[in-house]
Amino acid sequence: MLRIRFHGRGGHGVKTASRIVGTAAFLSGFYAQDSPIYGAERRGAAVAAYTRIDTKPICERGAVAEPDLILVVDETLLADPAAGVRVGCEFASALLVNSGKEGTALATELRLPCPILTLDLTAVVLAVVGRGSAQSAVLGAAACALAGLGPLERVLEAVQRELVELGLEADEQARNLEAARRVYADLSAVPARPRLPASGQVELHRPTLAKGAASRPIILAVGNAAARHTGRWRVFRPVIDQEACTRCGVCFALCPDGAITLDERAYPVIDYENCKGCMMCYQECPVHCISERQEVQAW
Amino acid sequence: MKTKREFIHNLKELPRDELLAPGSPLCAGCGGLLALRLLLKALDGNVAVVNAAGCMTLLAVYPYTPLRTSWLYTTMGSAPAGAQGIRDALDVLIAKGRLPREEDLRVVVLAGDGATLDIGLSSLSGAIHRGLDFYYLCYDNEAFGNTGFQMSAASPYGSRTATSPATPLQAAGTLQQKKDLFEIWRSHHPPYAATLSTADPVDLVDKVRRATRLRGPKLFTALAVCPPGWGSAPSRGFEIAKLALDTGVWPLKEAIDGKVRHTYIPQRRRPLEEYLRTQRRFAHLFSPQRQEDVLHRMQQAVDAYWDEVQRHEMPPR
Ligand code: SF4
Ligand code: SF4
Ligand code: SF4
Repeated sequence: MLRIRFHGRGGHGVKTASRIVGTAAFLSGFYAQDSPIYGAERRGAAVAAYTRIDTKPICERGAVAEPDLILVVDETLLADPAAGVRVGCEFASALLVNSGKEGTALATELRLPCPILTLDLTAVVLAVVGRGSAQSAVLGAAACALAGLGPLERVLEAVQRELVELGLEADEQARNLEAARRVYADLSAVPARPRLPASGQVELHRPTLAKGAASRPIILAVGNAAARHTGRWRVFRPVIDQEACTRCGVCFALCPDGAITLDERAYPVIDYENCKGCMMCYQECPVHCISERQEVQAW
Repeated sequence: MKTKREFIHNLKELPRDELLAPGSPLCAGCGGLLALRLLLKALDGNVAVVNAAGCMTLLAVYPYTPLRTSWLYTTMGSAPAGAQGIRDALDVLIAKGRLPREEDLRVVVLAGDGATLDIGLSSLSGAIHRGLDFYYLCYDNEAFGNTGFQMSAASPYGSRTATSPATPLQAAGTLQQKKDLFEIWRSHHPPYAATLSTADPVDLVDKVRRATRLRGPKLFTALAVCPPGWGSAPSRGFEIAKLALDTGVWPLKEAIDGKVRHTYIPQRRRPLEEYLRTQRRFAHLFSPQRQEDVLHRMQQAVDAYWDEVQRHEMPPR
């Protein structure tokens, strides 16, 4: 069985990517299973999705703990233990990170027990599909290429089927297909090919349950969520030009997260540790004195 | 046309204090979160939030909470019962002199449209019937957003959800009509019920402040723009909420002791289509073919509503 695990943030399209690979495998005559984690499907929150491929019916269920391939849309997830990107990476024959960095540089930085590849998927998406788009097509194509699924036409058919299912307009589909084509071509030359181990005995996991008070969490602090730093979710950063600001208060009123406070002279100040980058303030400032800068670190 | 505001007149008067800190795991651009933030501003402090399961479940994920208020988490169907428990406990403690009156709390139920109109409707109905002194905020994103946007009793006719997709047999997507929460509430004779919009924070705060003077159930429902579920860019949340007001699909109104008054009457309503086009959940109405019959029916429903308003309600002063 071949097991693939995708890591991203809600909105990146990891669920669709896992489906694209599943569909491509199915169209190639394999058994396939794909699923996202159940839970907080939030734009920006850490999420994962899995695809399993085999020549026989697949009885294994649940999260993939021993992946043959890991694909990571957002580099910052590697530093987040809760995201679990490193889990079982010693089994992986490749870990692909969406990053503009060199693979070797990242490998030295991360020191993981598996080969690291990098490819700037975001750049391809920004150039071909447009800003703010999900990465599902390129991610799915990348996983297909690394898993040795093909030919290209079949992969593109899988991409298209899933995008149609999502209800994307024809021109959006076309741009996504073009981006997928590029990524597939880029990665087809990569020698890293995952091993195809025989499907083994399924091991049952028996959780140990906590008793009584320990399983009844009570939070005694107030407003401590600010320590979570949701600012990492941002793709674009809103920047206020104080000189032009009229202190109308619109941005303060409509920031859903309360990430904008007013200083003693009633000028708005953005809390970048926590601004999620919804860009509503940028969109609605009546005098257009909020500009946007692309984040490099976050994606 | 807007009615005269009583307590706050422009954005500059919006309370500065935040009872909701940033850092919650809710989606970027969540309209429900904004509605909650503004409502809490209006209540300034001393609040206990009773949260029905839903998107807001994730407000507090151990060990973090964005709330600077108390918070009790309940199942989807039992938040109003939880509110009754807290209210009774506070009343008993105060009566026995074990809690100073100044430390009394306002009990606020926070629930989505799924918990309000589907799963928790009977519990809510009972609480209003008993005259429970509480606030209720329904953040209405018109589906079960937390689990992947499945249809709820608030999903509008013609919208697409995960469980009411547009298919050849069911081209409109959702075929059912949205339940009218405001009228369900009004039929229970609460002292106060109102609709809210995040596109009009002044109206929102004004209404909540007005309600604080009344005893008994004070009920609010806010249209909550939901970027991932509605298929819209988070940055366009305000614009979409505003279009809901200007097309008339989300009327702003209140009922004090049952008497209805609209707090915003769009003089020249914009075509509903302008609102629908901003969201992917309505895209099947326009492509591959325009579903003229569905669009017509949706526009007619809005027009009929406002004809009725014209007939029964003098334009507000
Ligand atoms: S982009 Fe603006 S409105 Fe959105 S979270 Fe950041 S500061 Fe708030
Ligand atoms: S919306 Fe623009 S002008 Fe108004 S306070 Fe914010 S930055 Fe200043
Ligand atoms: S799914 Fe919708 S309602 Fe739920 S947190 Fe996200 S934006 Fe808010």
